[in-house]
Amino acid sequence: MVKVSRNIVTTQLQLFLLAAFLLFIFKIIFGNSDEFFLRILLDILIAASIFFLLLALIKFENSRTSTPLSLILNVGILLAIMFFIIMFSDFLLPGIFDSINLKLENPGLVYNIVSFIYVLVLVSIVSFFLITLRHFFYLNQRKNVRIYFITMLIFFILASLSINFFRDESLSFIATTFFVVSLLLMIFNSIRISWIAFLSKKEKIYLLLLSFVITILFIVNITNSAGDNIYSQILTAFSPSLRQFNQIIMIYGSIYFLILFFTTLFHLPTAEAYDRKAQEVTSLQYFSKLITEVLDFNDLAETVTDIAQKLSGAKASWIIWKNGTKQNSLAPKNIGFVESDKVTKQILERISFENLTSTKTFSLKEGISEGSSDNLLTVVSVSPIKTRGETQGILVATKGSGQVFTQDDLNAIETFSDYASVAIENSRLLEESIEKERLEKELDVAREIQRKILPSKVPEYPDLQIASVFIPAFEVGGDYYDFFKLSETKLGFVIADVSGKGISAAFIMAEIKGIFESLVKTIGGPKEILIKANDILKETLDSKTFVSAAYGYFDLGKKKLVFSRAGHCPLFLLRDGNTNQIKPSGLGLGLSDGEYFEQTLEEYSVDLNDNDTIVLYTDGVTEAKNEQLEDFGDKQFLQVLQSNINLNADELSNKIINEITVFSSGHEQYDDITLVIFKWQQ
Amino acid sequence: MAEFSTSVQERGDISIINLKGFLDAHTAPTLENNFTQLINSSKYKIVVNFEDLAYISSAGLGVFMAYIENIRDNKGDIKLTNMSDKVFNIFDLLGFPLLYEIYKNEEEAIKKFSGS
Repeated sequence: MVKVSRNIVTTQLQLFLLAAFLLFIFKIIFGNSDEFFLRILLDILIAASIFFLLLALIKFENSRTSTPLSLILNVGILLAIMFFIIMFSDFLLPGIFDSINLKLENPGLVYNIVSFIYVLVLVSIVSFFLITLRHFFYLNQRKNVRIYFITMLIFFILASLSINFFRDESLSFIATTFFVVSLLLMIFNSIRISWIAFLSKKEKIYLLLLSFVITILFIVNITNSAGDNIYSQILTAFSPSLRQFNQIIMIYGSIYFLILFFTTLFHLPTAEAYDRKAQEVTSLQYFSKLITEVLDFNDLAETVTDIAQKLSGAKASWIIWKNGTKQNSLAPKNIGFVESDKVTKQILERISFENLTSTKTFSLKEGISEGSSDNLLTVVSVSPIKTRGETQGILVATKGSGQVFTQDDLNAIETFSDYASVAIENSRLLEESIEKERLEKELDVAREIQRKILPSKVPEYPDLQIASVFIPAFEVGGDYYDFFKLSETKLGFVIADVSGKGISAAFIMAEIKGIFESLVKTIGGPKEILIKANDILKETLDSKTFVSAAYGYFDLGKKKLVFSRAGHCPLFLLRDGNTNQIKPSGLGLGLSDGEYFEQTLEEYSVDLNDNDTIVLYTDGVTEAKNEQLEDFGDKQFLQVLQSNINLNADELSNKIINEITVFSSGHEQYDDITLVIFKWQQ
Repeated sequence: MAEFSTSVQERGDISIINLKGFLDAHTAPTLENNFTQLINSSKYKIVVNFEDLAYISSAGLGVFMAYIENIRDNKGDIKLTNMSDKVFNIFDLLGFPLLYEIYKNEEEAIKKFSGS
């Protein structure tokens, strides 16, 4: 793209140079000939040169993005250069050439070259003015801009050419008419300058000065070249039309900048208000965009105070944020924490979070000096920032002595603090949902740990049916059970429930698995194993965490079951049509130190009969809840066991789970459910 | 989410915490705060009344374990009263009656404090 446009510029530049070269040759051959046909040819060549020069300048102009102000400054500089050229031509040129008048009648080669370059430089400058004026003209988004401008240009050309071709006194009215029409079009095209509205107050003042100086310079240059000085003489000699064209452009420039000067002058009183409004609009736009973006709370607070300060024209701004019973200053802008805390203290003496429902302003009892300057902060505005319908923060803005918060300021801050509330609420909700997602991920991990810890299948022994069911709760409940093949005829088993839930419970399960895996290999009796397990867990668990567990073993050779219960649910023995609850004494693991634990722990031993069924479970079974939040309960569990005594292990476990499922349908399972059933059948 | 609330009464140098609703892992911090505040103000004679407690989970039981050592080191105690059968069963399974004094009503617990 860039390359293409540069090519176009060079094409136009080449055409311009070609035309200028032809013009130069023409001048050398024909001099300042007065013949009608030659005059036409000359003006055509000049027109062509200017045309291509303008095209090249337009392309060049479009390729850069310059602000109106910098363009105007360029105009000013070129005007000054032009002024000096015209001034110095009167001193310098006569020194070089003995007499200009003589030369004009009888130009030599040197004169032709010098005058040609001289004219070229001045024409280039004037062309630049035209291009800049065109640029400003197009900034006004009026309809049919092109037609207006081109019409004006045509009249410029007509007015210029008619000077040269209707020299007769009786026909001079034609040139005058064209000139007057051009003048009217210039004025018409110069009024309603709208682009300055978007400038800030500072820029407007700058523009006012600049346009004043430029207007003066235009007028000075016009008067300078209107007289009978060297510049005027050389240009007239070169081509009267060209001189006229230059003058017209200069007049256009002076008119435009004069009108620009007055327009700016009239805009100045409202500039500040306009600035403020523009600031408000951009701030609110910026902020509503922020609301929809993902934001960190602290970033948000920074943005809020930053915009609040700009919006209200305040000296400083910060947020007082309620943090439990304390308050702290957040994101202070243009003020130190020490000063803001002093002001905060005075504010909170006067108002409370609960009472603040809309924006208020008041004077401080005592001014707070801000930094080293002796400028006191004396007046504050306070606005509530609400989350969940409660005032959670106060947006503070302060101004110095002699300043006040106008109703406009307060309205702006009020609207803004509403936006801030929404944004802060959003960021809080976002944080919550991230936290929720994190917890869910954590629970996924916990469930995965649990799944890997629990046995994937039950061991097989002759004469002993084994069934186990484990139903995890959404929030991992910390249930654990396991089987240990101690020998061909000896089967160890453990069932445990870690207090608490989630990933911490899952890790403790893993620890317990490790403890039992190692203990069952070296120690025989359930009581001993549980005592050792308690010693280890008392050391490692925190004071409020404990584990209920039951450990035991079947000795199939001796037809015996031995077990101990450390705070776990009792064991049920179904025998001879009766359901017996077996509940030897024992504290939960991790509750008490070794000695007391040992004293209170009993070991239970029973000889196995044919068709004995042994049921182990965790409290997830008996505490399964229905829609009315009633427990499945010990009683109902007992009933289910009692009425299904004759089922085999798998059938019984299915039956129990079925009953629980029917009971608790409509209520989310809150705790893990574990069921382990053994049936001894010879 | 199940509701849980507590209230604390002073009876001489004895503090009585009344529990109401469902005490589980999510509501336990409320009770933890009560214990922390009492310990911070050196009130170590504490009676916990379970009359209005509907449910207690293992995490709820853990709260009592967390503070008992500190309280007993300061010659205080936590005594438990007015438990429903259901709540008592949960305490009983874990062997809590071996670790805590559990009474039928507040008066008995207070008498026990005064007596010792």
